[in-house]
Amino acid sequence: MTTAAFFGVVLALDFLAVVAQAYCGPLPALSGARPLLFPVILAYGALALPFWAALALAFFNGLLWDALTVQILNPSPYVQGQPTVEIALGWSVLLFGVLVILVHGLRPLFLRGRWELHCLASGTCVVAILAVQYALVMFHRGGLVLPLDFWARLFLPGFFAMLIAPLVYLALLAVAYLLGYPVRINVAPDRRDRAQDYER
Amino acid sequence: MSRVSIIALVVFAVLTGLVLSMRLPAARRLQAAMLEVVRPLHTATNGVGSRLNALGSGLKSLEQLERENADLKVRIAELSTTNQMLSDLGSENDSLRKALDFKKRSGFNLLPARIIARSTATWWSSVQIDRGEQDGLDSDMPVVTDLGLVGKTTTVGATTSYVVLIADENCKVAATVEGTTETGILSGGRASGATQPDLILGYLSKSAPLQNGQKVLSAGVSGGVFPAGLLLGTIRSFQVHELDARAVVTPAVDLSRLENVFVVRPIPRATAVDAKPPPARGNRP
Repeated sequence: MTTAAFFGVVLALDFLAVVAQAYCGPLPALSGARPLLFPVILAYGALALPFWAALALAFFNGLLWDALTVQILNPSPYVQGQPTVEIALGWSVLLFGVLVILVHGLRPLFLRGRWELHCLASGTCVVAILAVQYALVMFHRGGLVLPLDFWARLFLPGFFAMLIAPLVYLALLAVAYLLGYPVRINVAPDRRDRAQDYER
Repeated sequence: MSRVSIIALVVFAVLTGLVLSMRLPAARRLQAAMLEVVRPLHTATNGVGSRLNALGSGLKSLEQLERENADLKVRIAELSTTNQMLSDLGSENDSLRKALDFKKRSGFNLLPARIIARSTATWWSSVQIDRGEQDGLDSDMPVVTDLGLVGKTTTVGATTSYVVLIADENCKVAATVEGTTETGILSGGRASGATQPDLILGYLSKSAPLQNGQKVLSAGVSGGVFPAGLLLGTIRSFQVHELDARAVVTPAVDLSRLENVFVVRPIPRATAVDAKPPPARGNRP
């Protein structure tokens, strides 16, 4: 029950982060880099939630993100055919699923209080998401175009994510304590059995 | 790996496969439905933001307001006169066309719309507007401001739509340069998520007599999306490449400050001449 409640909170936060993303516009002073909020929540979910819940979060987040960003265009008026899309609906679900599975592997360390893992995972997820998206765009449009702005738009959002990750971690830690959900375990020698129980 | 984890992984794989195999019309319907779900949140947040902005910039003295009011009255009178003259010219044009047995030209009416959210993606440039199918919108309708072309509609929900901006590489416009016979294709650059990106006018002839500051207008190809004569931007530089020449174009519209736009809806041919634009919903410009 506690897990379900905490999962609900993380899911709701994730939804809000995706919706609020519309107000995190590109920053002109930083080559148009745009902070991404939701991967910070996704990375937290992957580290703090059980496997089934982390996968459910990845599915929900991927579907929502794709539905709000995928660009479905009609073909040219001179070409008969179906609408086209650069990144089909579902690619983000797959990508987020893979990221969540990889990050979830660090859960035992995270449960022992290694909060910096969330920080690193957030930054890595952001860069991976943007890089894969851009690779798919290039594959569809053709040509290996890597303008100078591209690098700023790829890595600066990762840096922003790492900056806000500790705040998200602290906020969700407080929520976890309120709900009684164990996101940190005592690893004193006499409590080692309990730690192993959580990791399972 | 526990049994629950294996079941979760299988369920995830099956659901992902189902989503990936979804056909595009179905994906478009899902996207439209999702836009409707987040619309209230976007509208509410946008409303709060607008009020906060208005609070910051709207504190004016009575004297300033009086002056502004007087200026606006003069402007209204000026525009009414111009409108009347254009209306007379339009009638004259119609009767002349009739006399010459020309086809009636399709007219357009402008539907005001407000931008409620900007693109959440890094590699695409689009915005979300508060008009949809219920207002007669469809995909591939041009979106403009008084300064020029903004983009075109893509996915259209019941009360909200996506507009892909001209700064996006996927929004291609057949364009012509004012005062010349040069035509080309205008589009945004790759990774065009910047706030005020440049546009590229490609497929020009190498000997094109272009100069900085010349206006670029939509060419209006037959059966295309964009009508002719919409201002797209001004030429900033001209570069000759191996096979063709390209011009870098500064967009006419500041895409980073868009708030209100107009969607260009075609008027059916039969009523093109007599039809008048419907009254705007609410008190929008």
